[in-house]
Amino acid sequence: MKIARTFLYLLLAATVEARAQSIIEQLDNALTFSAFDGSCRVRLSGLVDLEAYHLEQPAPALIDTDRHALFNPRLSLFLDAQFGSHVYAFAQSRVDRGFDPSDSGGRMRLDEYAVRVTPWDDGRFNVQAGKFSTVVGNWAPRHDSWENPFINAPLPYENPTGVWDSMVPEETYDLLQWSHVNATDKPQDVYADKYLRNPIIWGPSYATGMSVFGALGKFDYAAEIKNSALSSRPEAWNITDVGFSHPTYSGRLGWRPDEMWKFGISASVGPYLMPSAASTVPPGHGFGDYREILLGQDIRFAWHHFQLWAEFFEVRFDIPGIAHADTFSYYIEGRYQITPQFFAALRWNQQLFGSIRNDDNELQRWGRDAARIDIALGYRFTEYTQLKLQYSLLREDPAQNRYNNLFAVQFTLRF
Amino acid sequence: MRLPLFLPIVCVLLLIRTTCLADTVIEGHVTLPKSHAAPVMNKRYEIVTKNGVVATDPPRAVVYLEGKFSKPANLPVQQMAQKNLAFVTPLLAVQAGTKVEFPNLDDTFHNIFSYSPAKRFDLGRYRSDERPIPSQVFDVAGLVTLHCDIHEHMRGLILVLDTPHFTTSDTEGHYRLTGLPAGHYTLKAWVDSKTTKEQPVDLKSGGTLHLDFP
Repeated sequence: MKIARTFLYLLLAATVEARAQSIIEQLDNALTFSAFDGSCRVRLSGLVDLEAYHLEQPAPALIDTDRHALFNPRLSLFLDAQFGSHVYAFAQSRVDRGFDPSDSGGRMRLDEYAVRVTPWDDGRFNVQAGKFSTVVGNWAPRHDSWENPFINAPLPYENPTGVWDSMVPEETYDLLQWSHVNATDKPQDVYADKYLRNPIIWGPSYATGMSVFGALGKFDYAAEIKNSALSSRPEAWNITDVGFSHPTYSGRLGWRPDEMWKFGISASVGPYLMPSAASTVPPGHGFGDYREILLGQDIRFAWHHFQLWAEFFEVRFDIPGIAHADTFSYYIEGRYQITPQFFAALRWNQQLFGSIRNDDNELQRWGRDAARIDIALGYRFTEYTQLKLQYSLLREDPAQNRYNNLFAVQFTLRF
Repeated sequence: MRLPLFLPIVCVLLLIRTTCLADTVIEGHVTLPKSHAAPVMNKRYEIVTKNGVVATDPPRAVVYLEGKFSKPANLPVQQMAQKNLAFVTPLLAVQAGTKVEFPNLDDTFHNIFSYSPAKRFDLGRYRSDERPIPSQVFDVAGLVTLHCDIHEHMRGLILVLDTPHFTTSDTEGHYRLTGLPAGHYTLKAWVDSKTTKEQPVDLKSGGTLHLDFP
């Protein structure tokens, strides 16, 4: 009831457009600072997200709760600073119940911070250092709640596989157990160890490192060296938590035949195990010897009121005693602006797992194939307030017909 | 016999009226608010050419004569372009019923929209070669705030007025309204979304009135 009441109040406030807009416009002006005759400018902005989920257990994706309802408020503060015309810096700090939706207590994090130097005015070359989202793919640039037409991330960014970064399996049986591919697994067992498992890319992957990127005519490029792999968990993104001794190298090449179409290919390679896994790897090996290798392709199309995005990822994990575990994941997403304020979005996601030889020397899939459809409706009350509703249907392991329904609502205030 | 005699009289009267309109002038000064700090472009996740330096226009005022005036059948088409990721110019005053075109002069998409009660629209994503140039007719008087769905820092204003007699001040606040009809009116100076100053005016044919809005 409390959640419903909060939403009702916010909706009412959002509809009182003139007053609400005026306050936010004043706030916007008040949060922009300028010094040295405008050559140093700083702007503070933010997003307030109030999310509520109604879900079936086991909780899907990276949602961490054993209940059927979850309220997940989030405050994201952004700082953008321009120093002259060649130096730009940004930071993002969040107060929420965890990087992924959870029912744990509130916490505050510094998710992103970076400094960028752009020596030439045409953007041909930029160098950036700090903690920031990956250059791989085309979802990271639009992952915040205002840009993302959905409430959750596409499946490749949040579907846990059977790979753990805290230890390696002693034998194939362990990996199959961690992947919960056996028919005897009860639904509640499947997600009991969820936080030990890694998706192929963990959200926007705000790892620490350095990147170079730029645009040359119809082409753009980006390359980065980061302290942890794309599949690594948020706890591994800080330079203080995981050093830089085993870096991950990633890159993307983009081609823009015209403004409507954008194509990209990405690649990433780097060790996915945490230092804590060192004691579990076979003798004579280090935790840095086992890599995640990712190839990606992305497409974006936009014309008038229609936008389409798609990403395809082929991923291989090196696993001791098993050699390679392969998986393929993709999604296709469309958004249509029905009226100036009302939009609808549809996304089809799938993840397919390759086969490995089990202890009986038989070929067996090392993960539960998953398919998910996401449907979302959104309404922007003003330039600063937005409401989204989403329904997702996940079907895991087609042989067993396991379904999971999720309803979500998100109210966003942007300032 | 009556018609030929009547025509010269009408012509003379029209000439006198036109002369009066052309001669009646109000000029003065509007005290403008301080300039806001230039916007900071959000470049977190994109490559921005032109180095993200956003030109900003200092504040201006729109001065207009409020009264009951007939609406001309055809109003000239106005333009509000987007260049170097900013509106050029960021403040446009138009008479209600005016069609405004939004040409994109950048080499990237723009997506201009407004949720203002006076005009809600969303032009969708369009390129510089989009033809016909995306446009909207602004029928209802009021302030329309323009945004770009792609470039968060972009802000533009269209002030839609129910009068043909308006002008935009220079950046010092000086204005000059010409060709005004004689009569009793209210002169208004729109300064920003929260401030519109006004003064009653009695306009006599052929005169020049000096009026400041402190």
